[in-house]
Amino acid sequence: MIKFENVIKLYSENITALNRINLHIKPGEFVSIVGQSGTGKTTLVKTMIGDEKIDKGSITIGGWDITDITQSEVPMLRRQIGVIFQDFKLLNKKTLFENVAFAMQVCGGSSKKINTIVPHVMKIVGLQKKMDRYPQEVSGGESQRAAIARALVHRPKILLADEPTGNLDSLNANEIIELLLRINKFGTTVILVTHNREIVNRLKRRVVTIDNGTIISDQAVGRYIL
Amino acid sequence: MILSFARVIKFSFQDIFRNIWLSLVTIIILILALFTVNMILVVKVVGDAAVGAIKDKIDINLFIKPDTSEKDIEILESRIRQISNVKETRYISKEEALILFKDKHQDNPEILQSLTELGQNPLTPTIIITPANLNEFDNLINQLNALDSNIIESKNFTNYESMLEKINSITERVSEAGIFLSTIFVFITLLVVYNSVRVAIYTHRREITIMRLVGASNWFIQMPYLFSSLIYSSIGVIVIMFLYYPFLALLQPYLKAFFVGYNVDLVNYFYSNIFTIFGTQFLVSAIIIMLASLLAVRKYSKS
Ligand SMILES: Nc1ncnc2c1ncn2[C@@H]1O[C@H](COP(=O)(O)OP(=O)(O)OP(=O)(O)O)[C@@H](O)[C@H]1O
Ligand SMILES: [Mg+2]
Repeated sequence: MIKFENVIKLYSENITALNRINLHIKPGEFVSIVGQSGTGKTTLVKTMIGDEKIDKGSITIGGWDITDITQSEVPMLRRQIGVIFQDFKLLNKKTLFENVAFAMQVCGGSSKKINTIVPHVMKIVGLQKKMDRYPQEVSGGESQRAAIARALVHRPKILLADEPTGNLDSLNANEIIELLLRINKFGTTVILVTHNREIVNRLKRRVVTIDNGTIISDQAVGRYIL
Repeated sequence: MILSFARVIKFSFQDIFRNIWLSLVTIIILILALFTVNMILVVKVVGDAAVGAIKDKIDINLFIKPDTSEKDIEILESRIRQISNVKETRYISKEEALILFKDKHQDNPEILQSLTELGQNPLTPTIIITPANLNEFDNLINQLNALDSNIIESKNFTNYESMLEKINSITERVSEAGIFLSTIFVFITLLVVYNSVRVAIYTHRREITIMRLVGASNWFIQMPYLFSSLIYSSIGVIVIMFLYYPFLALLQPYLKAFFVGYNVDLVNYFYSNIFTIFGTQFLVSAIIIMLASLLAVRKYSKS
């Protein structure tokens, strides 16, 4: 599903964000990526969605070599990969429903399609009763769930979560992780970037540890080792 | 596709209303630019009319001695006709001149009174010469001066050429000033549009980030801002149309007073050429504005 081969990413001559990354992720896997601050985890996520170009090596996603992806091809890639972030990235002037619908509107989805898919994904994340609320009227956990719902509207094969629990208390964080596990169970490949030791240790899934832009450990049933 | 287009339009209107003051400033600047451009047109129309009015009046009068026989006059007239730059000649006899004189001064009883007191016709017969080519006016005058005929009493050659030159130079200078002003305004318009689009994109940066994230095409992200500029130019041209006709109507009486007896109808000119004038302005301003916003969009809507 995802294949990094000898990937090198430099931001400048002396900032090497990714240094010879080799990483294979199979369809349906649930992979945690851990590492200290500034080690290149977000950069890894960005290269997967065509947000940053790499300097050496190659990246293949679902059989598509995106190493030299063009600006006009990026939207196609993004529709196949759902992404969520620590800061939710919701629009405050739109209700949760409108926020999720927005993702379909701007990609040319018909109103009919929007009106069937949005309630469906809202139900998956458990927000069917709060669709008409605004982001500031719901909890952080609920905001993140709305962001997840938005990431799901294009039925992505891959869900990238860059520190999705960073702004949440442990209760809400656990709910989000539960949700990600449930989405993974439906067959979506989930990549979870996190700092949270407890979560990683409890997951008992594959853990890739990055330090200084290099993978220093990759365990099938891993623990947080830093 | 139609759906996307409808959404582009919707987003574009949202963009305009979210920065309503900026949108208004943009439109006002555009209107000022269009106003100066139209002023050049007015100056050109008025200048052409003035030149035309003068050209109409450029005749040379040869006054003939009162007692000359008709035959001598005919000979002179045919000699004049043979001069190369003469378009036509017209002979006005003493009697005709009197009728014309009375007609011209019919509102002035004092003059008519003094004419009756004179008891006889004081006017002289005249040959009126219309030149064919105004540029060779001097040459024609020289040739007429060289005519040696003892029946010519006097000649009246007002030098209209210098007057024409004056008018031409005035219109030219006013046009130059207008073009200079217009250039400045067009430049300002470009800057203002560029800036408005930049600000509009800045206000929508969160939306744009999210749009990129969820896979909206570049076309869809950029189109609303280009469409907004199309709306700006439409509004600008429509407003200038509604502003200009009253403005011209206001100007009209002064023109009429200036060009007595000559028809300079600006309102009518603008009416009969409405599609050419404002259609061109719409096209040109739309293209210029789209270009400015395209540059801004390209530069600022990158993730
Ligand atoms: N746009 C950029 N320009 C230059 N350097 C950058 C840029 N983005 C990131 N970096 C640098 O690249 C390195 C990796 O950054 P990255 O954001 O991938 O780290 P991270 O592992 O996600 O950190 P965190 O856990 O704090 O989110 C850091 O040294 C960072 O300073
Ligand atoms: Mg990061």
